Amino acid sequence: MISARRFVTALTAVTCLLCSALGVRAQSRVSIGVTETIETHNPYGDSVSLQYGIYSEVTGPFCTYSYNKADFEGRLAERWKVENPTTWIFYLSKNYKFNDGTTVTAEDVVHSLMNRVIGDPQSKQKASVAPSVVKAEALDKFTVKVTTDKPTAPLLSFLCDRLIVTSKAAFDKYGRDAADREHMMGGGPYQLKELIPGQRLVLQKRPDHPDAKNHPNAPDEVIYRIMREPEQRVTAFLNDEIQIAQFIPPHMRQRIEKNAKLRIAPIDSVEIMFLAMQPKPPFDKKEVRQAVCHAINRDQIIATLLESFASRLDGPIGPGQYGYDPNLKPKMNYDPEVSKKLLAQAGYANGVDVELQTPVGRYTLDKQLTEAMVPMLNAAGFRARLLTPEWATLWANVQKGTVPFYYMGRGSVQDPSAALHQYFHTGETPRIGYSNPKLDELLDKEQQEFDPNKRRQYLSQAMSILTDDAPACFLWRHKLLWGLNSRIDYKPLPDARIYAIDMAVKR
Amino acid sequence: MVSYLVHRLAGTLPVLLLISFLVFSLIHAAPGDPTLLLLGEETNAADIARAKERWGLDQPLYVQYLKFVRAAAAGDFGKSFKYAEPVINVIKSRLPATIELAVFAIIIASLLAIPLGVWAGAKPNSWIDNLGTTFGLFGISMPSFWLAIMLILLLAGVLNVLPTSGRSTYGVAGPEQTGFYLFDSIMQKNWAAVWDGLTHIFLPALALGMNMLGILMRVTRSSILEVMNEDYVQTARAKGLQEKNVVWRHVTSNALIPVITVVGLELGTLLSGSIIVETVFAWPGSGSLLITALNARDYPLVTGIVMTYTLAFVAINLIIDGLYAVVDPRIRY
Amino acid sequence: MVFMQSLTLESATEKSVVWPRLLPRLHVKAFTGGVIVLLFIIIGIIGPSIAPFDPNKQELTAMMKAPAGIGAPHSLGTDNLGRDILSRVIYGSRVSLLVAFAVVFVSGFIGIALGAISGFFGGKVDFLIQKLVEVVWAFPPLLLGITIMAFLGQGLFNLILALVAQRWIPYCRVVRGQTLSLRNRDFVTAAQCLGASNRQIITRHIIPNLIQTSLVIGTFAMASSIIAEASLSFLGVGVPPEIPTWGTMLADARIYISTAWWLPLFPGLCIFVTVLGINLLGDALRDILDPRLKRSGAKI
Repeated sequence: MISARRFVTALTAVTCLLCSALGVRAQSRVSIGVTETIETHNPYGDSVSLQYGIYSEVTGPFCTYSYNKADFEGRLAERWKVENPTTWIFYLSKNYKFNDGTTVTAEDVVHSLMNRVIGDPQSKQKASVAPSVVKAEALDKFTVKVTTDKPTAPLLSFLCDRLIVTSKAAFDKYGRDAADREHMMGGGPYQLKELIPGQRLVLQKRPDHPDAKNHPNAPDEVIYRIMREPEQRVTAFLNDEIQIAQFIPPHMRQRIEKNAKLRIAPIDSVEIMFLAMQPKPPFDKKEVRQAVCHAINRDQIIATLLESFASRLDGPIGPGQYGYDPNLKPKMNYDPEVSKKLLAQAGYANGVDVELQTPVGRYTLDKQLTEAMVPMLNAAGFRARLLTPEWATLWANVQKGTVPFYYMGRGSVQDPSAALHQYFHTGETPRIGYSNPKLDELLDKEQQEFDPNKRRQYLSQAMSILTDDAPACFLWRHKLLWGLNSRIDYKPLPDARIYAIDMAVKR
Repeated sequence: MVSYLVHRLAGTLPVLLLISFLVFSLIHAAPGDPTLLLLGEETNAADIARAKERWGLDQPLYVQYLKFVRAAAAGDFGKSFKYAEPVINVIKSRLPATIELAVFAIIIASLLAIPLGVWAGAKPNSWIDNLGTTFGLFGISMPSFWLAIMLILLLAGVLNVLPTSGRSTYGVAGPEQTGFYLFDSIMQKNWAAVWDGLTHIFLPALALGMNMLGILMRVTRSSILEVMNEDYVQTARAKGLQEKNVVWRHVTSNALIPVITVVGLELGTLLSGSIIVETVFAWPGSGSLLITALNARDYPLVTGIVMTYTLAFVAINLIIDGLYAVVDPRIRY
Repeated sequence: MVFMQSLTLESATEKSVVWPRLLPRLHVKAFTGGVIVLLFIIIGIIGPSIAPFDPNKQELTAMMKAPAGIGAPHSLGTDNLGRDILSRVIYGSRVSLLVAFAVVFVSGFIGIALGAISGFFGGKVDFLIQKLVEVVWAFPPLLLGITIMAFLGQGLFNLILALVAQRWIPYCRVVRGQTLSLRNRDFVTAAQCLGASNRQIITRHIIPNLIQTSLVIGTFAMASSIIAEASLSFLGVGVPPEIPTWGTMLADARIYISTAWWLPLFPGLCIFVTVLGINLLGDALRDILDPRLKRSGAKI
């Protein structure tokens, strides 16, 4: 019995042979199995990396962060300058055209930023794309002036690879929903061909686009298939149903490595994993918090459970992230004896009861890793219990500030500013409720400092205080395993973004 | 008959109202805030307040409930928080997949269970009877999600003859018309798509239908046994009819009545069982939608799906009552 | 033995004819089912003393070891944290059986009580209780369990509560029906003439006659409770991780299906075999106790 898949594959093979024999170039198609989902037709209706990545590619991107150069590069916005601390000027390229042939202009950028990202009640992107933007104006056809309410040095980390520029004309003509559903167009090298929310998204290359011309081997068609279950993703990858598989759990990689046509590409993620502690008893004492940090044998967990696919964090960020300082002190090494001494100092010589809460299935092996931490905490003088509430409940409680001790991750940390403010600056969110005036001062300074050297200094000092005072124990960054078919030449990015234009498909 | 049906329908209205109230209170009572779950990570208090206002969550609970009832009476279940689309549309896009799955589960269960049950019942204490009883027992004892996992492991993993997940392979299907993938493909005479759809639906339908298979087997068998000893069957035998004809003409149609009851009763189990099976197989139906909606505390969507299930339940029970009248001429309203 | 007496009253004639025919079949079924259930109950009770390891003892250097065979230290292998699977399966039986028994007893108590009251008093009381039944029954069962657990949070007690929420209804329905028919029987009228109060009639005369059907329902309900608890644990809304249950073990094993087959196999097998045994027992019980089926010699 021939399965349908084999039949179709055979048919495709024959077709390809015929095509190449006749000199017709067959369409190259790449299917990617992803874990995040696209749930809506509204490009601004969700705030997940996958969505930002795909729509950025369809509409530009506006500008992009290059991990090779460790700096931002222009795309739709060719270049920019900071006129004064609260004013940025962006100069657009003249070569980006929408699918209907019209040029992408400053009006479209202003419309996208002000009306779609900020003004639209359905937009979920305001906080991640334009947190401090108050105004955007078109100075001329290809120049945009952006005004912020307070000096925002890391503004590019919000706009680049995230601002989605859609057509004002289509919006005005068809109304928002129809424009998004039926006339979705952007100035990028790929166009949206099909979107079934929760299932798949199909992009098609635009051969006339300058980027497409520069990357002739980029796939003609890209299909994003949402496959959240690891077993299914891996099996589909092994069956060649997908050619790229996102985030393969470490223990499944042997099956892939055995196959000569497939390979594993490990990439350091920019998501930092940590244990957060609210400064209420028993964690109101610094010694107790530091005791937790010294109790966790991160190296053993990384070596055994994560099979070395993680890099230990000695401080809030690691190599490759902006502001990383390899000499950051102090280092919270694994030392349960030190933990016990610290607990005794804090008055808990006979142990103290703590409840660690963790989500399940949200981060790589979250439940397992925290289960492994419980005996470690117990060996260091704590009496620890693990709770695994469902995500909705946990997140609500974390946001309310009612979870004293939890395991969490914070993604998209190329530039630590946003994350540090969010979790550790007084008054920003109740997630931890930590308050340290010295830290606040440093964080405020770094956010408004445009001189990179001074900024790094402030960040370093801030992170040193954080590591020592330990409102959170910084654990590790996962190395995310991508599965790649050997036909495809692609270096995955540390965040969950996928830019198909950077792929090269061997024919 | 018509007056009976109308009377029945009128009776279900207060029940539907009570159910809607129960769902509403339960889901709102559960800890978790949709604004926190659905807005981005870096959201601030102002955005949250705006979202609350937009979604009507800043009103007291009874006001929200009354608004909901008034809108629902007009057929409007509100807009999903997560998908920003009318709930009815979201459900419509996912429901056909679940219905297809349920129908196939019933088909597979019936095709296997009923003939086996009839055979076993007609020949008590034979090896067929033993086989059938064992099969039935296995069917009702098997946890569906374990079966699902084992099936994936064996048939999709080890033997690699069937796909592990999803409903279709990209690029094979034609344009969507009714949402019922197999039906559409048959209508379009797209046989590759039909085969593709069948290979994808087989494992989930089997996992889902196993329970019903067991129950159907047992019920069919026992009702055949009961009927076989009735007087009219003895008469048919005495008249010299072949055993085969006796079984099929006289016994089976009478014995099918409890079978219809079982399908109706088990429908609730099927619908809730589909929640787990859809999750394991990544089947894009309303069961997995319900889990997603629940996890996101998408109140309108959860309420909408539960009400849809309830309505379906009530409707199917009515149909089954109607079927009784057709199958059993003694029943008249 | 009151219920057996009323049973024999009804079917004295059939008994002598049918029992010999049934006996051999009954023997095998009851025997097999009984042995299986007894085995799991015993394991559940003496579990801690026969389990070779602490079920929560992690051994990060000995993760995912394949089953070593009977007699070896980790005969069923180790899981993703190096914990012994045999020990976890043994402790898991305790939870499953505890939950199953608790759910059946509590829901049975509530269901029988409400059903008897509903059937005996009729009228408004009956109407209200039946409306409650309709409303609660219309919920997809898993959904009700998930929502209640989300509301109450993790915990053994909460889990039992969530499972009881719908499971009292089958008892209620059947008991109500039988109460309705029993209410008009002679022995009830006689008791009323003799001055017995309603409460006495319900508890002393009616309920004993319903026990056997409830017993059959209860047995099958126990099986479904085990599966329901496993389903809820599978979806992540069961008990906290420090309590090993078969359902949680299966849930944890989901990403190891292709790399460590023993992880999902053994807990699932336990659920399956236990439920099978209970169903066999239930079958046998039904054969003994249900007169209507005896008449036709049928076995369900």
